Amino acid sequence: MIDIEKREEFDIEIDKTVGKPFIDDAKFSTRNVDVFYDDKQAIFDANIDIGKNQIIAMIGPSGCGKSTFLRCLNRMNDTIQGCHISGDIKLDNEDIYHKHQDPVLLRARVGMVFQKPNPFPKSIYDNVAYGAKLHGLASNKIELDELVEKSLIRAGLFKEVKDSLHKPGTGLSGGQQQRLCIARTIAIDPEVILMDEPTSALDPIATAVIEELMIDLSKKYTIAIVTHSMQQAARVSQRTAYFHMGHLVEVNDTNTVFTNPEHQLTENYITGRFG
Amino acid sequence: MNKNTTEIIKLKLAKRYAKEKRFKLYGISAIAVSIAFLLSLLINISVTGLPAFQQTYINIEVDIDSKLLKLDSQYSEQELFRANYSKVVKQSLKAMFPGVKGRKQKRALRQLVSKSAIYQLRDFVIDNPSVIDTKQSLWFLARDDVDVFMKGGIDRSLPESDRRLKDFQLVWVDKLLSENRLEKRFNVSFFTEDDSREPEQAGIKGAMIGSLLTMLVTMLLSFPIGVSTAIYLEEFAPKNNKWVDLIEININNLAAVPSIVFGLLGLAVFIGLFGVPRSVPLIGGLVLTLMTLPTIIITSRAALKAVPPSIREAALALGASRVQTTFHHVVPAAMPGILTGTIIGMAQALGETAPLLMIGMVAFIADVPQGITDPSTVLPVQIYLWSDSPERAFTERTSAAIMVLLGFLIVMNFLAVIMRKKFEKKW
Amino acid sequence: METQQHISQQYNKELESVKSKVLNMGGMVESQVKNAVSALIEQNDELAKKVAESDYKINKIEIEIDENCAQLIAKRQPAAGDLRLIIAIIKVITDLERIGDEAEKIGRHVQKLVSTKDDTGMHAELANLGEKVIAILHDALDALARMDIEQAAKVVETDKQIDEEFNRVSRVLVTHMMEDPRNIKNMLHVTWCARALERIGDHSQNICEYVIYLVKGQDVRHTEFNLDQQ
Repeated sequence: MIDIEKREEFDIEIDKTVGKPFIDDAKFSTRNVDVFYDDKQAIFDANIDIGKNQIIAMIGPSGCGKSTFLRCLNRMNDTIQGCHISGDIKLDNEDIYHKHQDPVLLRARVGMVFQKPNPFPKSIYDNVAYGAKLHGLASNKIELDELVEKSLIRAGLFKEVKDSLHKPGTGLSGGQQQRLCIARTIAIDPEVILMDEPTSALDPIATAVIEELMIDLSKKYTIAIVTHSMQQAARVSQRTAYFHMGHLVEVNDTNTVFTNPEHQLTENYITGRFG
Repeated sequence: MNKNTTEIIKLKLAKRYAKEKRFKLYGISAIAVSIAFLLSLLINISVTGLPAFQQTYINIEVDIDSKLLKLDSQYSEQELFRANYSKVVKQSLKAMFPGVKGRKQKRALRQLVSKSAIYQLRDFVIDNPSVIDTKQSLWFLARDDVDVFMKGGIDRSLPESDRRLKDFQLVWVDKLLSENRLEKRFNVSFFTEDDSREPEQAGIKGAMIGSLLTMLVTMLLSFPIGVSTAIYLEEFAPKNNKWVDLIEININNLAAVPSIVFGLLGLAVFIGLFGVPRSVPLIGGLVLTLMTLPTIIITSRAALKAVPPSIREAALALGASRVQTTFHHVVPAAMPGILTGTIIGMAQALGETAPLLMIGMVAFIADVPQGITDPSTVLPVQIYLWSDSPERAFTERTSAAIMVLLGFLIVMNFLAVIMRKKFEKKW
Repeated sequence: METQQHISQQYNKELESVKSKVLNMGGMVESQVKNAVSALIEQNDELAKKVAESDYKINKIEIEIDENCAQLIAKRQPAAGDLRLIIAIIKVITDLERIGDEAEKIGRHVQKLVSTKDDTGMHAELANLGEKVIAILHDALDALARMDIEQAAKVVETDKQIDEEFNRVSRVLVTHMMEDPRNIKNMLHVTWCARALERIGDHSQNICEYVIYLVKGQDVRHTEFNLDQQ
C-alpha cells in the first residue's frame, strides 16, 4: 500500500487548470471561485464553464472539494455556518451570489439530487407535487395530476408506480426512490440539475437505469454530476473536471481525460495510483 | 489461525463468559429490586386505598313529622328549606334506640350518621313534599368512625379507652347489623363531592377539576412557547453564537432547578408583581408552565435534531424557504417526539406539589372551581392535605387519591407511547 | 516502464508481468531474426531449419500475452496511461509475431536456396540490408523497453533507409534475373528474403509508433510525426 507520506513524492505543482475549462455556449461560468469553511479553504480559484445541455462530471478523491463546488452552484452552501464564497459564479451571465439574487428562485432554476435518496415521508404523488405546489406551477388539480404524471414518465418511474401513487415514497426501492427524487426535481422544470453522487447508494442495475435517464435528460437540461465512479463519469459525461485538494486540476473532454489526460495528477487518479 | 492463538483465546473464554453472566445477573437483580419496591408501593397503596371506594350507609326509619319540622299546613319554599331536619333525624334515631340515656350517649347516637344526613333528608323532602307526615326508610351516610369499624379498622379486643367506638356504640352497631341496617356501597361521592372536613363526605371532584384547569393553562402556555423556542433554537438560531449558547445553557440548567424555586418565582413575579390572584388554576398553570418549559424545549429539540438533514436539503433544493422547509417537513416529522415530550412534561406537572404550596393552592377549598380564576386545589396537593389530617378515615382516602393520580399518570404515559408508535416515521 | 505505483499491488504485478513477457517475446523475436540473417548470409542449412522450426514458441507467447491483456481489461478497467499501455502491448505483440513469421519465412527460403546449391552468391547482397534490419529491430525493442520516444522517432526515420536499401537490392536482383533467366527461381527466393527483411523493418517502425502513442497519447500512424509538434 502507498502510505500518506509517500504521496508527497508526487505532489505536483498545481498552478492553473489545464485542458479546456472554457467553452463558448456556457450555462454556468465560474471565475476565481474560492470557498472557505471558517478559516479552512476548500476551493482554490476554480475557473470553469459548464455547457448548455451537456453533462459535466466532477471527479476527484474524497475531500477534494467537488461536492462543495457543486453546492456553490445552487447556493446550498448558504445553509452551512461559516461557509463563505468569493469570486464570480454566473448562471446565464447573472451573478448568482449578487445580493439581489434570491436563493429560493435560484434553487427553483437549479435543482439538486442527492447522494442518498431522500424522498419526503409522504406519498409518491405528494413528493412530486410538492415543488409545483410550492411555486404555484399548477392552477388546479387536473393540471397538477398531469404535471405529476409527466414528471414521473420523464423520470422513467411512472409505469412502476402508477397504481400506487398514494403510497408512501419511502416504501420504494433505492433506485426507485432516487428516480422519484429526480422526478420531484424535474417537476419544477429547472434549467440545471446538480447531482451529488446520485448512484453511490444503488446497485449496478439501478445505476444503469439512472445513467440512461441522465443521458436522456441532458437533451433538455444541463447536468452537473459529482461521482466517485470514474466509469460512470466516463459513461455519461461529455466533459470531465478533475479536482485535487481544492484545486481544479484539469477540465477536458471526457474522451481525452480517460485516454490521455494532460495533467499527471489526473493520470495518477484515474489509473488508480492514488485517491 | 495459529494453534497457539486459539489456545490462548480458549483459556480466556470461560472467564469472559463468566463475566458476561455476572453482568447479566447484576442487571436482573437490579431490575428485580426495583420491581419489588414498585410492587410493594403499589400493593401498599392499593390495600390502604381500595376500601375508600366503598362507603358505609345506615338505614333509618325516618318519621317526617311536620310538627318536628316546625311546619304549618301552609308553608313557603323557604320555610321548607329552613325546617328543622336535624330534629327529625335525632328523633328517628331515638325511636330506633329507645334506651339511650344521658347527654353524652344522646350525642353519640346522633353521631352515628354523617352530618350530611340532614341535608340529604332536606333535599329528599324538597324534591318530594308529599312525604311529609309519613314514615320513610332512608339510607344515610354513616359517620367515619362507623365506616372505619365496618372496614375492620377498629379492634373490639382493645380496651374501651383506646377505641374510637365505645362499648355502648358497639352495641348499637351490632343491633343495626343484625337488622341489616348497615351496608357498604360503592363510594360515588368520592368522585362527585368536594373536599370536606368530614372524611365520609370528602371527595376529589374539586381537586380533579382544579388539576384539569391548571393543566389546561399549562398546556396552552407551555406547548406553543416551548415548541416555538425549540424550533427557533434548532432551526433558525445562528450556531456558535454566544447569546444562543448562553440561552441553551440556561434552559438546560432550568431543567435541573428544584421545583419549589419556580413556586417562589411565581409568588414573587406573578402574584407580587403582576397581581395575579393566589390559589387559582391560572397562577398554578403559570408556575407549572415555567417548570415544564425546559422539559418540552429539550425533548422537542431532540426530536427536531433526529429529523435527518437530508429532508431539509431536499426541501431547500426544491426551492422551499427555510420557514417552509421547517413547517412543511421538519416539524411534522418531529411531531411524535414533540408530543411525547409534551405529554411527559404535562405528567410531571400533574404530579407536582411543591411549587403550588408556595402560591397558596394548599388552602382548604370546599367548592368546585368554575373557571381558571376561582380558588381551587389540585390532586397532589389534595393528597398532601389529606395525609396531614388526623381522622383515621382520611388515610384510606389519601391512598385512594394517590391511586387516581397514578391512574391519570399511567394513562398519560400510555398515550405518549401510543402517539410515538402511531406517528413514528421510517426513513 | 512506469515509475509510480498503483494502490493495488496486485495490479502492479499483473502489469509488470505482462510487460516483462512482452520484452521476453521481443528478445526471442530478435534472436530469431539474427539467426535467420546469419543463416541467409552463411547459407547455413541447420540454422535455417532451427529458425523455421522455432516460430511456434513466439506464437505461443503471443497468445498468452493476448489472454493476459484481455483479463486485465476485464478486471481492472484500465484508463489513461494503463489503457494505452495495454492497447500498445496488444498491437506490439501482433507486429512481433509477424516479425517472427518473416524470420521463419527467411529460414524456409534459405533452406530451399541451400538445397538447390545456389552458386550465384547474390544472397551476399542482402548482408547490408540484414544488418540494418537487425539494428532497427534492436533499436525499436530498446525504445519499447525504455519508453524512449526520441529513439522511437529515430527508428521511424531510419526505416526510410531500409526502404532505399531494399529498392537497391531489388534492382540488383532484377538485373541479375534478366542477365541469366536460369537463376530466376533462386533469385526469387532471395527476393522474398529481401522482402521479408523489409517487412521486418516496417513492423519495427510500427512498434515505435505504438511507443509514441503509449507515451504521448498521440497516434502518429499514417502521419508525418515530428517530436516538436505537441
